[in-house]
Amino acid sequence: MSLDVLFNQFMSGIARGALLFLVASGLSLTFGVLRVLNFSHGSLYMLGAFLCYSIWAHLLLPALGFYLATILSALIMGAAGLLIELFLLRRLYNRGWPEQLLATYALILIITDLVKWRWGGEFLSIPRPKPFTGAIFLFDFPFPAYNLFVIGLGAALAVFLWWLVYRTRLGDIIRAAAHDREMVSALGIPIPWLFTWIFVLGSVIAGLSGAVAAPFGSVALGMDIEIIVECFAVVVIGGMGSLPGTLLGAFVVGQVYSFGIMYKPELALAFIFMVMAIVLIIRPWGIFGRPER
Amino acid sequence: MQAGWLKQAWWLILAAVVGILAPHIISEFYLMILGEALIMSIFALAFNLLFGYMGQLSFGQAAFYGLGGYTVAMLLTKLQFNFWLSLVAGILVAGIVGLIVGYFCVKLRGIYFAILTLAFGQLLFVIIYKWHDFTGGDDGIQGVFPPEALKAPISYYYFILIVFAASVYLLWKVVNSPFGYVLKAMRENPERTEFLGINIARYQLMAFVMAAALSGLAGALWAPFYRSVAPFHLMWVKSGEPVMATILGGSTTFFGPVVGTFLMTFLHAYVLGFTYFWPVIMGSFILVVIFLLPGGILGFAQEKLRERSFKAMTPEGRDQDAP
Amino acid sequence: MLLETRGLTKDFGRLRAVNSVSLEVSQGDVHAIIGPNGAGKSTYFNLITGYHVPTSGEVIFKGRRITRLPSHKRCKLGITRSFQITSVFPKLTVYEGVLLALLSSKGITLNPLSRAMNYFKDEVWHILEDVGLAEQARVRGDSLSHGDKKRWELAITLGTGPELLLLDEPTCGMSPEETEATMVLIQKLAEERGLTILFTEHDMGVVFGIAKRISVLHQGMLIADGEPQAVRASEEVQKVYLGGVA
Repeated sequence: MSLDVLFNQFMSGIARGALLFLVASGLSLTFGVLRVLNFSHGSLYMLGAFLCYSIWAHLLLPALGFYLATILSALIMGAAGLLIELFLLRRLYNRGWPEQLLATYALILIITDLVKWRWGGEFLSIPRPKPFTGAIFLFDFPFPAYNLFVIGLGAALAVFLWWLVYRTRLGDIIRAAAHDREMVSALGIPIPWLFTWIFVLGSVIAGLSGAVAAPFGSVALGMDIEIIVECFAVVVIGGMGSLPGTLLGAFVVGQVYSFGIMYKPELALAFIFMVMAIVLIIRPWGIFGRPER
Repeated sequence: MQAGWLKQAWWLILAAVVGILAPHIISEFYLMILGEALIMSIFALAFNLLFGYMGQLSFGQAAFYGLGGYTVAMLLTKLQFNFWLSLVAGILVAGIVGLIVGYFCVKLRGIYFAILTLAFGQLLFVIIYKWHDFTGGDDGIQGVFPPEALKAPISYYYFILIVFAASVYLLWKVVNSPFGYVLKAMRENPERTEFLGINIARYQLMAFVMAAALSGLAGALWAPFYRSVAPFHLMWVKSGEPVMATILGGSTTFFGPVVGTFLMTFLHAYVLGFTYFWPVIMGSFILVVIFLLPGGILGFAQEKLRERSFKAMTPEGRDQDAP
Repeated sequence: MLLETRGLTKDFGRLRAVNSVSLEVSQGDVHAIIGPNGAGKSTYFNLITGYHVPTSGEVIFKGRRITRLPSHKRCKLGITRSFQITSVFPKLTVYEGVLLALLSSKGITLNPLSRAMNYFKDEVWHILEDVGLAEQARVRGDSLSHGDKKRWELAITLGTGPELLLLDEPTCGMSPEETEATMVLIQKLAEERGLTILFTEHDMGVVFGIAKRISVLHQGMLIADGEPQAVRASEEVQKVYLGGVA
């Protein structure tokens, strides 16, 4: 196993990790503030991918088409998130976590059939957009240029979120609300609207990541469960509701996935679970998480 | 207490009579659906052991159901194993895998527990699906036959009925036992229960294994019934069926999941007549119940009965506001 | 000496909630821990019961180091606590709650087949009568009045058969009559059942009424410890605590 091969796999892992970070950060954000785990986050991701495909196929613009489709899907998923929060989630904030989980689980069921109804059971794909169509060479190995785009996007989101959460007033409110909801409310900050916008942001991120994932692999039913399971692995390993945790978790899962595929493709998921199992035994609250007590 | 028991028992006796006479009343088509409802009821009761009685959501029960079915299917078709021993093997395999999966799941609670069950369920599904050489992959396994004595639909139906009755009896004993009380306490207040000297993780694991084994039993019954198994039996959508059934019937009563399953099974059979879009119906029902009929059908009925008996109390009792 | 803490310290990040508290609790005592809000009383209790792991220091019970023992094991050894927030078991009846405690303390909880209600009938009724909840036996937790919930808390803790009973603000939210009745009850139970009681309280009347020994915490530190008269007379205590809001 030569160094170049290893490095290549490593970079693939980074790309995969970047995509995972994109998805998982939305989940982590809404959970951190709203304290509701949106089971349907993966469904929004999948919808984002399918929507991106349809818009792109409709626009028929060579390079711009994909980027436009991506932005549009993200915005549409944001709107979907708005509807979900206003009409579903809001009524569940004062109910227990079981109802919240069950309702978002019900959403997965509904959305999965929605996708099946609208797009059927095919595997759809989008070719990589210009200028990321080719490959660049790392150590004489071709590395898809699109991967760099995804990595760049992941890094950009990480920076954006870090800036948002740690450097803006909104971020202060977010962190305070994550700690003590009543206090924030007592300070006159309208919690309901805060929650709505955070959820919308999370949905936009979900839609965006789905769209970005489309040229990465194939767009198909089952993306929702597949990605949510990997997201869970990310947050279990990294620690829930923590930005650095999500980053680390995404990195780890991306690497395990990449090297797992190289070793034995069918077992890639199993390897991820093994790592998750180890973390659960040694440190159940995740690497950057804090124990409940 | 004795009078109360008899009052409750009348519908139980009625149900038993109906169950026994069913093959002579309804057509074979409906008998198959009834059999399916009974099997899925065991599945739902297993789910509710964890949810209604212990307070934890498991979204991956189908994995154990599927493992039970696959074990029986593989033993019967590949090794021509004894039918009865295969059933036992199905339960054991499901239980052992439940032990392994549960070991990790019980390290967490609430949301995280639920997440993990979904994740492990998916992992098991992927393993069965991809291991083509061993399990047949997405072709599934066909030609799973019960022994001669049980091949006729009516015979197998009675077999299912007996196993169902036995499972119900067993579960009833469990939830009213000291162990069952610990489960209920963990549901209400895990922290307080810990301070009663209970190792929460250990008890949750035991319940988890029980639920896995019971789900495996349901799957083991299923395979010879429908003569085949396929990977979709382990899919996350399948895991949603006991969830929907339990929510619909109500998780707060013992028989809620059974009522919900019967409704769901007949609805499913009806719907399949004109559409494949079953998940959307499941999801919609779950939402409708959560928002409009919390506690499900039996839970709702129970609340109404309590309110009525409250009002029928002594004048002092009536003066107090209903809870 | 039943319980001893040596240099027990708990930090939450930069906040030192409990600062090197060394304390002895003697068998048979009714021992009060008092202090203003935020003094660290609850945290100290949590360290003794195992809810928190201390940053440093030791907890020794009956001569055995239990500092890192999980809560449920400490309970089996004989330490039980009642909780300030009385949510207890909303959907269980009063009877069932006490029965559960007894089932656990007698180690029957692994039994999955016999009927729970068949066990310990006498013991449950005995406890319910002692505590004054016999009439409410069939009432569910979420239907109890506040005072009754507190008594149920007490009944459940009795069911676990403790040697050391930690009561966190046992009369919180009670009327003067209820408070009096509860403290009399606690004292009676301590004598009858040979319990050692460690409790926190805000009501000074209650504390000086029944405590045989008082320890005062302030900002996580132990500033006084001894018999009620001595503590009351202590200048520091008066300055910090008794002089201000009681």
